Amino acid sequence: MDEILAEYIRRTVLKIPRDEIKTVLQTWGFLSEAQLQTVNFHQIKENISQDVVRLCEENSADIKQAAVLDIIYNHIYSDKRVWSVYQMSKTGEETEFFDLTDFKKKFKRRLRSALKNVTINFREYEDNSIWIRIAWGTPYKKPNQYKSSYVVYHSQTPYVFISASVLKSTLPLLCQALVVASNYRDIREMELRSHSLNSLKDIVFKRYSQNFQTYYPRPLQERNVAPESADLRIVQENRHEKERIERVNRKVFGDGPQPKLEFAQYKLETMFKSDPKMGVLDKKEPFRCLVKFSSPHLLESLKSLAPAGMADAPLSPLLTCIPQKARNYFKIREKKGIFPGSFVSP
Amino acid sequence: MESVDGAVRTLPSIGRLSRGLPFGRPHGQFGLSPSGRLLPPALRSQENADPRRTAFLLHKQWTLYSVTPLYRFSNTRLRDYARLLSAFIAAEKQKGLAVEIGVELDIKVAVSSIPDLKGSDQDQAAILVQLSLRSPASSKNSEEKLIWLGWFCCVSGDDLSENVPEDFTCLPLFLANGAESYTSIVGSWFQKTFDCCFRRLAISPLNLSWMAAMWTGCKVDKTASAMELVFSVPHLPQPLDISYAIHPEDAKALWDTVQKTPGEITQEEVDVFMDCLYSHFHRHFKIHLSATKLVKVSTAVASAHCDGIIKVRF
Repeated sequence: MDEILAEYIRRTVLKIPRDEIKTVLQTWGFLSEAQLQTVNFHQIKENISQDVVRLCEENSADIKQAAVLDIIYNHIYSDKRVWSVYQMSKTGEETEFFDLTDFKKKFKRRLRSALKNVTINFREYEDNSIWIRIAWGTPYKKPNQYKSSYVVYHSQTPYVFISASVLKSTLPLLCQALVVASNYRDIREMELRSHSLNSLKDIVFKRYSQNFQTYYPRPLQERNVAPESADLRIVQENRHEKERIERVNRKVFGDGPQPKLEFAQYKLETMFKSDPKMGVLDKKEPFRCLVKFSSPHLLESLKSLAPAGMADAPLSPLLTCIPQKARNYFKIREKKGIFPGSFVSP
Repeated sequence: MESVDGAVRTLPSIGRLSRGLPFGRPHGQFGLSPSGRLLPPALRSQENADPRRTAFLLHKQWTLYSVTPLYRFSNTRLRDYARLLSAFIAAEKQKGLAVEIGVELDIKVAVSSIPDLKGSDQDQAAILVQLSLRSPASSKNSEEKLIWLGWFCCVSGDDLSENVPEDFTCLPLFLANGAESYTSIVGSWFQKTFDCCFRRLAISPLNLSWMAAMWTGCKVDKTASAMELVFSVPHLPQPLDISYAIHPEDAKALWDTVQKTPGEITQEEVDVFMDCLYSHFHRHFKIHLSATKLVKVSTAVASAHCDGIIKVRF
């Protein structure tokens, strides 16, 4: 086992929270239970990592095993990466039998024909997903294990989740290999990205709950706290407005929890419209803006905007269409020839 | 010291901006005059200023503090102050309260005056404090490494300095760049020595919107970065941040049609500018930005965060 590999294993171990190192190593299964018994998992991580490397040396680990450990780490901590959704398409509607061995073989062959120095590893999970790890080199350099790409593919679906390497130039090659190996014709990015791989799956597999329950009003708190002196009609009106917002919100977002996304981005190239009386900016060119929304749980926070009085109800379709359209990156231009206030996104 | 917040708006004028940069004159509690403000030349003394002497403040992140007037501070004793502060830092280090640094390292203190940095002729010249590391282990002519910078300045025009009693020096704004532990040591020495008080300075959303408008109006080249406004939406179960970046040319085109009063910027113009941007946003997203909190403004000229952190680029 060379030094570079030892260091790679050591750093992978260091990334794992201390309390979970043992479990991850057990999942890995490369070190025997007896070997693991010899490691003191209560010492500082630095020492644990060195002990693990020593044991790996005993078992003469190679890059294949190290890559599997990295896959296991990324599978458990998939939220650490940003995932993009890609959709593949084919001409006919015919469904072919998916053969995993054939897929792997074609995928490897395709990549290796373009680039000799690549490390490719696969691991299958119970949910029918295939995790692929690719570390990229150059014709003259060995693969850089620290800048690997990850692909999660569900063979019964046309969707692929890619967490690309920082080595940007590798992406077209990766997409090509995927299309060839899975017998599709084309692949396109859906402009849907998140840290939460599961939420992306929920969105594209339409797994998030959209059960629009029938509306049964709950008594609102305000009913009891309204001061007696207040104008009853105003109280009544406020209550009606609150109920309307709740109703509209439920219609748009549904009752269930929202899928987890952390951001949405809009590139606006629309006209700037203002009150002619104000006499400001009367330009025929679009007003160029880039708007980014970010939140630990974007859709939940958008859902709470109107009830908090920060937004109109219903909220703009540009925001509420995110789960249905399965995208969170948009380019918005003015719809031509139609009344103002409507936008298109390509 | 409330109006110091408003004085912060004038900071970018200290850089190499064009002469026409709006120069705020704070009045009243929020540093605003009800009618508007004049636009005198960016810096009176800038005509003869050497840009090299003020270049140090560019491209650095500065944390802002407000400072009460210094008692018995004298511009003629800066060398003594450097010596005393240096001894104070050494003593703090011995106490073990100070920063984690190697025992071998020695901190050199320099205190100097920068006459180029002031808002008006009546203002005190800015005072610069520099801490550098030198290692006695290496050769004598070894290079010193600058580790911390702080400067006091007066950018508020006559208003503040005029009413200061004798024996007091008014340098109401303090800007620090470097580890906070050094800021705290230097700050406590000044507090002890000149009986003054330091406080972190927050920048109000109102002043941030002024900065947005003023900086948008500055001439910058075509490749300039966007004018970005960052909003945070308070009181939601899940926090939400909104970044609204506008192409610099488009933002300037809008501001140029809004800014109508010659030689002056008025509160009304700033309001119209922001309202226009808010209504454009509302047209698309149905969200009322006016109900959210403006937390950061960033332009090709400078950026400012409501926590009192600024960066001047130009």
